Amino acid sequence: MEKGLIALAAAIAIGLPALATAWAQSKIGAAGAGTMAEKPELAGIIIILVAIPETMVLLGFVVAYLIIG
Amino acid sequence: MIEEMNKVQIIGPKNSLDECIRVLHAAAVVHIETIPAPADIDSMFQKLPMEKEKMLQKETLEKGEERLRNLTHLLKEPGSYRAQRFGHEEIHGYLEEVAPVEEKVKALRAEKDSLSEELVSINRYERLLHGFAPIVLSRLGGLRNFEIVGLTVEKTRADIPGLIDAEIKKITGGNYQIYVKDLDEKDVGIVLAYERKHDAQVRYLLSGKSISEVRLPDEYSSLSLVEALKLMGRKKAAIPGRLSAVERDLESISVEWYGKIIGLIKAIEDAIDEIGMIMYAAQTRFTFVIEGWVPVRLLGLLKEKFRDLFGEKVLVRELEIKDAEVDLIPVHIKNPRIFRPFEVFLSALPPPKYGSVDPTPYVAVFFPLFFGLIVGDIGYGVIILLISLYLRRRFRGKEMLSDIASVLSVSSVAAIIFGFLFGELFGDLGQRLGVIHPLIFHRTEALKTTMVLTIGIGIGHVLLGIIIGIANQLSRGKRKEAGAKGAYLTVILSFLFILAVLFNFLPRGFLTPGVVVLAVSFIVLTALEGILGPLEFLKALGNILSYLRIMAVGTASVVMAVVANRIGGLSEDLIVGIIAAGIIHALNVVLSVLSPSIQSMRLHYVEFFSKFYEGGGRKYAPFKKR
Repeated sequence: MEKGLIALAAAIAIGLPALATAWAQSKIGAAGAGTMAEKPELAGIIIILVAIPETMVLLGFVVAYLIIG
Repeated sequence: MIEEMNKVQIIGPKNSLDECIRVLHAAAVVHIETIPAPADIDSMFQKLPMEKEKMLQKETLEKGEERLRNLTHLLKEPGSYRAQRFGHEEIHGYLEEVAPVEEKVKALRAEKDSLSEELVSINRYERLLHGFAPIVLSRLGGLRNFEIVGLTVEKTRADIPGLIDAEIKKITGGNYQIYVKDLDEKDVGIVLAYERKHDAQVRYLLSGKSISEVRLPDEYSSLSLVEALKLMGRKKAAIPGRLSAVERDLESISVEWYGKIIGLIKAIEDAIDEIGMIMYAAQTRFTFVIEGWVPVRLLGLLKEKFRDLFGEKVLVRELEIKDAEVDLIPVHIKNPRIFRPFEVFLSALPPPKYGSVDPTPYVAVFFPLFFGLIVGDIGYGVIILLISLYLRRRFRGKEMLSDIASVLSVSSVAAIIFGFLFGELFGDLGQRLGVIHPLIFHRTEALKTTMVLTIGIGIGHVLLGIIIGIANQLSRGKRKEAGAKGAYLTVILSFLFILAVLFNFLPRGFLTPGVVVLAVSFIVLTALEGILGPLEFLKALGNILSYLRIMAVGTASVVMAVVANRIGGLSEDLIVGIIAAGIIHALNVVLSVLSPSIQSMRLHYVEFFSKFYEGGGRKYAPFKKR
């Protein structure tokens, strides 16, 4: 039972930030696609902006690891 | 490295201006600056007016360039060509030489277009006539006094055949025939046969219903259906041959002339640039003045060249750079050959400010390191290396793409080295076959070690960024900014120090000094940077943790490779197993190029550059030939 709860907690710890990252990236990605259509030279900056929310899921991963560990 | 620049002024007699501009153009080292228009008319410097003759010359050249550009659009670019070099004096002669070629190309293109059009039109009519042919030939072929009309109707107007049937029945008193046949997905073909005397009434009816008769081109109208079909067949057979003959002619012209035309366009553009350069210059009563920026390294050569060509007549002198001009100094980045491909990372950012740091050498070290750590597989590394070497050859001459391929090839070597260290060859395949074993640790098993390693790399990389920032501020004499960055560095270091004590990596006795240093540096940071100081500290901690992505993405890549091998192993048939594993490995290789590149780029742009990079510089663009 306890093991199951720990696993569930770890799953939530990484799952929720993953959803949050996906949501943020969808917004940035859509805006970025629009920007690229107008100014293709900004592609590099857009790639960076799209990658920024990934920190959330990485932190979630660390927390999940700490929960299991 | 950002090269040191000198501001130079070139002064000479007005009659030497044209020659002087030509020499500057050939030297290709001076970033010319506009000399601002004087505030009052009595000022010593005045703008140089553009002479009428020069304006006309420019206009003629622009027209010639437009003609040549249009010609290049008509010709297909040959697989390989070399743009021929032309001197300015040769331009007009060659423009005249190109004129007959231009006429010939235009005629050939017109012939090609007309043949293609005819082919399309034949295909269209042939389809309709073939649809009608069986009906006309078998049932109506002998009815000489009858008029035969072919019609097409869209299927969406399905009621039309019935309506026509009823109306014609009334007109002809039942003495008619109608055949309806599907021609394709969109159209229905209708053939009407009726006595000639009713022709006018029937056509009146059809025009009233807005139904178009299938009208053949004029050359077929006098022929019978069978003859028309035969002629169409003959033409259809002949056109492809004629088309390919025209294309061959165009190709041979292209092979002979394309390089010359492109060279001529470049020569014209150079000539136009030289005329336009007059706009940047200024004049006194007897002299012209040109100002610009030259890398210190090249100034001696430039002076020597001018001395050799003009003696004492034209003077090249250095000007003092005023404080207000520092931000306007163009930035020229020059790195050793081995680092040069990594300059491509700066293309996504505004150029660095003059006097700040060029991050290229650091990127050249850390990008392959991060990429290698993430991919860490001998097999994937070799595949990426082969692909990148091929792409480098393929894109030779296209600077940006060839640079990306070079970066990828260096990074793939790092991936191979880390593959040896982690004992990975297509995931765990090497270990399963017993050909390789981990030299340091196994990535999927030593997750904690990998985490500590990547956080350690993060600490080193972020701190290095801050140290570079401090060194740069000090070298530019900005002590306050350097002090703030120093306090920032001390806060992070003391915080990490305290963490090391708390996790028993250091003796407990170090705790109090650590806390004192943290508190003092925190106060100094807040005093120098305001409320943003503490926020920067929190951001730096987030930056360090961000390096965990090296471990996370790397682990995901290994797991996917292991899954590929397991799925391959599930099949009892060896070939099916290899194919299944191969497909997943291929997908993983693609992801292993994209994901590690993006993640490593991000670690540089966001985590590393934010500590010292100052954008907003002007790119050095010397006045040079195209």
